[in-house]
Amino acid sequence: MTDTTIDPAAVTESEGPQLLSWDSRARRIVTIYVPLVCFLIVLLFPFYWMAITAFKPNSELLNYKDNNPFWISAPTLDNIRKLLFETDYLHWLATTMGIAFGSTFLSLFASVLAAYAIQRLRFRGSDYVGLAIYAAYLVPPSILFIPLAQVVFQLGLYDTPFALVLTYPTFLVPFCTWLLIGYFKSIPYELEECALIDGASRLQILRRITLPLAVPGLISAGIFAFTLSWNEFIYALAFISSTEKKTVPVAILTELVQGDVYQWGSLMAGALLGSLPVAIFYMFFVEYYVSSLTGAVKE
Amino acid sequence: MDHFTRRDAFKIGAGGIGAVAVGGMLGSRPAQAAIPIADVAPLKQPIEAGATLRVIRPTKFVDPDETVWNENTAKFQKETGVAVRTDFVGWEDIRAQVAVAARTGAGPDVVAGWANDPHLYTDKILDMTELATYLGKKYGGWGPLPQIYGKKFGTENWVSIPMGCGGGAMVYRKSWVNAAGYATMPDDLTKFLDLCRKLKAAGHPPGFALGNAVGDGNGTATWLLWAHGAAAVDEQNKVIINSKETIAALKYGAELYKTFIPGTLSWLDPSNNKAFIAEEISLTQNGVSIYFAAKNDPKTKHIADDIEHSRMPGAIDGRAPESANTLNAMVFKHTKYPNAAKEYLRFMMEAPQYDVWLTQCLGYWAHPLLAFDQSDCWKQDPKIIAYRDAQKMTYWDGYKGPIGAAAASVSAEYVLVQMLASVCAGQNTPEDAAKEAERRLTRIYRRS
Repeated sequence: MTDTTIDPAAVTESEGPQLLSWDSRARRIVTIYVPLVCFLIVLLFPFYWMAITAFKPNSELLNYKDNNPFWISAPTLDNIRKLLFETDYLHWLATTMGIAFGSTFLSLFASVLAAYAIQRLRFRGSDYVGLAIYAAYLVPPSILFIPLAQVVFQLGLYDTPFALVLTYPTFLVPFCTWLLIGYFKSIPYELEECALIDGASRLQILRRITLPLAVPGLISAGIFAFTLSWNEFIYALAFISSTEKKTVPVAILTELVQGDVYQWGSLMAGALLGSLPVAIFYMFFVEYYVSSLTGAVKE
Repeated sequence: MDHFTRRDAFKIGAGGIGAVAVGGMLGSRPAQAAIPIADVAPLKQPIEAGATLRVIRPTKFVDPDETVWNENTAKFQKETGVAVRTDFVGWEDIRAQVAVAARTGAGPDVVAGWANDPHLYTDKILDMTELATYLGKKYGGWGPLPQIYGKKFGTENWVSIPMGCGGGAMVYRKSWVNAAGYATMPDDLTKFLDLCRKLKAAGHPPGFALGNAVGDGNGTATWLLWAHGAAAVDEQNKVIINSKETIAALKYGAELYKTFIPGTLSWLDPSNNKAFIAEEISLTQNGVSIYFAAKNDPKTKHIADDIEHSRMPGAIDGRAPESANTLNAMVFKHTKYPNAAKEYLRFMMEAPQYDVWLTQCLGYWAHPLLAFDQSDCWKQDPKIIAYRDAQKMTYWDGYKGPIGAAAASVSAEYVLVQMLASVCAGQNTPEDAAKEAERRLTRIYRRS
């Protein structure tokens, strides 16, 4: 056994980033960090603006001559107080949450079955069915809302949250199905063949083999579906007329825009609080979300 | 003509319906002015048994707009037993709900929508001639603008009951205009341009919306066109925008634009409110909202004290070149309770209810029935008197043609304001801009 001495300088050097011969710190700053900072500013500035507007008094909002538009001199909670205690905001938030969860669950359930059938059962014309489902996603809601309204009225669902829970899947199912078709494609078929040899039925394979492997894809589709439901406007506007049953995007506009007077502070407070559930949702599942986009299951 | 007093309130109401409850309600309400009313036989509209109503209308201008509306509705419910629910919808959003109701034949029974709305659905709504005639006879007749928006174009048949007109007058800082050498707002366009140049030189530029602003942007364009005798279409909907009057209006607009504060090409409806309250501009066209926003905030009270309102300059033969945003109520044929719906509208328009609503709306809405010229609303603050006469305007959306879907599309696609903005921005000559607008208008009017 021999004693060896370790040169601390050598360790530091080896633990640092490995720069290639053509690389340099200056090059990295120009090609990576500067674009990254620009990207972050573009991406985060609207949220920053939303946040500071929510805490600004009206006098600061309107007068940029005497106040710095990018900072708050005298922060106030008035806008949030007005939003929470002078409107039905919490009720709208709960309604929106319920509708978003309900429609997301329904859509994921239908999409899993559709995507699995199209991708794995390989029936005649399955490729075209997949394409047709995606094409359905391209139909704009502004064209569909009047025919859908007739269905909603005939089912007696007008002015109930179920009108939205059942109509949101019209655009969520095509989107989620298309996304899951792609994800199922990345799961090796051999795994299912093994299960088939062991005597598993198709539903057992779906439940015990495919779905556990497709969790990142399901979460990704779920996040998209939840966000789309959360932000949806035209159906929520057309199918709900009672103020207390409205969703956040429609209700804050109705309550906080009075003619040409916009309650910007409270509007931004509403947008800020309304975006928190979606942000939290993303935060918890971001790893699954990223892995689903990069293809998680390797052969 | 009689005069309406508190005591008369006991007598009003079809079949004496209102006789009992009004007294109690009036006790908690402000005293009302003497509204001149004529002695007209009550309408015979027996309310259907078990009637219930759903009403939608645009969201409030100011809080009393909603609270007094709801109080009046509750009063109707108490007196008639008809349960009425009113839902308030965003200004831009009400048209989607009306379209759904019209197409599906279900939903709200009564819609107090915007000026054009009843004209898009004339085959789906009830005739209102009898009710409009009754109200007109009783309250001194309808103003010219409510008549235009209330009647099916070119006929004497009423399709709706106009309930209020939101005017767009000139809002200006009196001290700055005075300092520029003008005691009052000039009506002459040349003098007005001179005033704007002087205001700009003094560091107080004017500002008019030239962006895609539903109210203010379209208002700027139509003001300039009408002030020069131009129109988008003639009486038969033939496009006549490419005219020497339009080109004159565009040339004038381009000169006027040179005096504006920078940024007006991107202005939306709230922009001129913000700029005025921030004391960045000296004059603009707007509803009464700027004045009240300034008046209600102690920090901007000095601005309100200095604000004056006037008609927009450029009247031709005494016709002010303005229109007004009109709240226009219709009853869908799909309602199970047509009499209850009409009776509700009648009740809301009767003086004991209407005058309280009008007065507490502070001038945001002007009355369509001329007897309400005498309302206390117009005596409480002399500065808002310019908004009183919104119903006397004689221009309408889609002037000179029939009111309909095409006129609404022209506003929604901002054809006229984009024509003006392209000249102001130097992108187009007035001639080219008029030609381009003609092409767009022809396409819109052909498909409607």
